[in-house]
Amino acid sequence: MIKFTLNGRTVETDALPTARLLDLIRDEFELIGTKEGCGEGECGACSVFVNNLLQNSCLIPIGSIEGADIQTIEGIMETQQFKILDESYSIAGGVQCGYCIPGMVMASAALLSKNPHPTEAEIREGISGNLCRCTGYNMIVDAINLAAKKGDGLWQKK
Amino acid sequence: MAEKITAYRFDRLDQTLSQLNKEDCAIMAGGTDVMVLHKSRRGVPPKIPKPIVFIDHLFELKQVYQNHQDLHIGACCTYSELLEHPIIPLALKNAIKTIAAPAIRNRGTLGGNICNASPAGDTLPLLYVYNAKVLLRSVNGDRVVDISDFIQGPRKVQRLPNEILAEIILPSIFEEGAHVVFEKVGNRNADAIAKVSFAGYIRINDARIEDVRFAFGAVGPTMVRSIDIEKKLLGKTIPLAEANITQVVAAFDKIIKPIDDQRSTAVYRKNVALNLLRYFLSMKQNQPNE
Repeated sequence: MIKFTLNGRTVETDALPTARLLDLIRDEFELIGTKEGCGEGECGACSVFVNNLLQNSCLIPIGSIEGADIQTIEGIMETQQFKILDESYSIAGGVQCGYCIPGMVMASAALLSKNPHPTEAEIREGISGNLCRCTGYNMIVDAINLAAKKGDGLWQKK
Repeated sequence: MAEKITAYRFDRLDQTLSQLNKEDCAIMAGGTDVMVLHKSRRGVPPKIPKPIVFIDHLFELKQVYQNHQDLHIGACCTYSELLEHPIIPLALKNAIKTIAAPAIRNRGTLGGNICNASPAGDTLPLLYVYNAKVLLRSVNGDRVVDISDFIQGPRKVQRLPNEILAEIILPSIFEEGAHVVFEKVGNRNADAIAKVSFAGYIRINDARIEDVRFAFGAVGPTMVRSIDIEKKLLGKTIPLAEANITQVVAAFDKIIKPIDDQRSTAVYRKNVALNLLRYFLSMKQNQPNE
C-alpha cells in the first residue's frame, strides 16, 4: 500500500510501485484535468505539484511518492491564485483547444509563486517545459503577465 | 492484478546498501530517464526487469559541501536544488539552467545523469572538463573513480551491483580562477536532447595559458576529450595566434567521429562541434567566472 496526500486528502493505493502517477490520478482517482501528451516529460501536459514543486506526473513512479503532498489542477481550482489565472487566460485569449492548459496553468502558478513579477524572458523560461500545439504562446505569455499584475501581492504567500 | 514486482524504499542509505549487497536491483533516482526507457502504453506501468530501489529521498545522497578546495555534490541532488545552493559555482549553475525545463529540473538528479551514461548526457561535458570524480559506496566501503573511467560507453558504467553513486567530486574547483563555458545545440531550448554539446575550461596567468580543457558531447559513444591536444596549448599567449587555433581544430577534426541518427547528421555535428571549439579559442576575454 502506498499512502500520500492528493489535493489535501490522504489516499492509499495498491497499484504497482512502477505505475505512473499520471495514470493513477486519471484512472484510479478520476481526476482527468491532468493530461497525457508525450508521456516522455517533454510537453508538460501532465504537470502536477509534488511537495509544491512542479513535476511531470508521467515520469513519476508512485513508489517514490510515499508520504508526498500531490496537487493537481483540480486541487488548486479553489484558490484565489487560480481565479486570477483563469480570468487572465480568458482575457488574453490564452486558451485555444485547451489540451495544454491545465499544465500551462500549473507551470504559471509555479512560476508566479517563486517569482511574482517575472520578465517576459522569465515567463517563457517558466513555461519552457510546456508545449502548446495550437502555438498560442504569445497569448499565454500575455495571460501570465496579466496574472502577475492582477494578482499583485497574492503570489508571495504560498 | 496478477503481476507482482518488488520495490524498496528504505529510510536510510545503509539499509539500501545492505539490500543491494543481497540482491541485484535497478536503482531509481528521479526516474526521468528510467521511466522513459521502460515506458509501456498508456495506463500500463513501465516494465523494469529487476527489483527496484528508490533512492531519490535519501538525505545522505543530498549533501553539498566543500572539503579543502574540492566541491562534493550528493548524487541525488536535483538540478533545482543545485541551482539554489549557495556554494555551487556560477558556471555550473549557468550550465544547469540550459538543461531540460523547470519540471524536469525539480526531479532529475546529477547522479542519474551520470549513471544513465547517455552519449548526449547534458552535464557530462562539463563534468569531464572539471576532472570530476565519482564516489561509489557499498557495504565494503568507498572507492573514487575518474568520471572518464567510470563511464565506459552508452548506458554502460563501471558500477558494481552492490554499489551506489554517492557523491560527485569536483577537485580544486574553489582555488582556480578559471573561465568555463558550456554550449548545447538542440532543436528546442528546453527539454531537448543535444545534437552537439561542448564544454571549455581555460585558466590564464599573465596572458599565458596555464590550463585548458575541452569536452564534446553527442559526437561519440562517450564524451570526447584529449589531454594530448590540450597540452599543445599550455604556455601559449592569449589571444591565440590563428595558426595555433587551426592546429587544435585540425587535431579534433581527426578524433571526433559522430554518427547520423534521428536527431542530427554526422556532418552537421562535426561542423558545429569544431565551430564551437574555434569560437571558444578565439575569445579575447577569458575572465574567470568561477
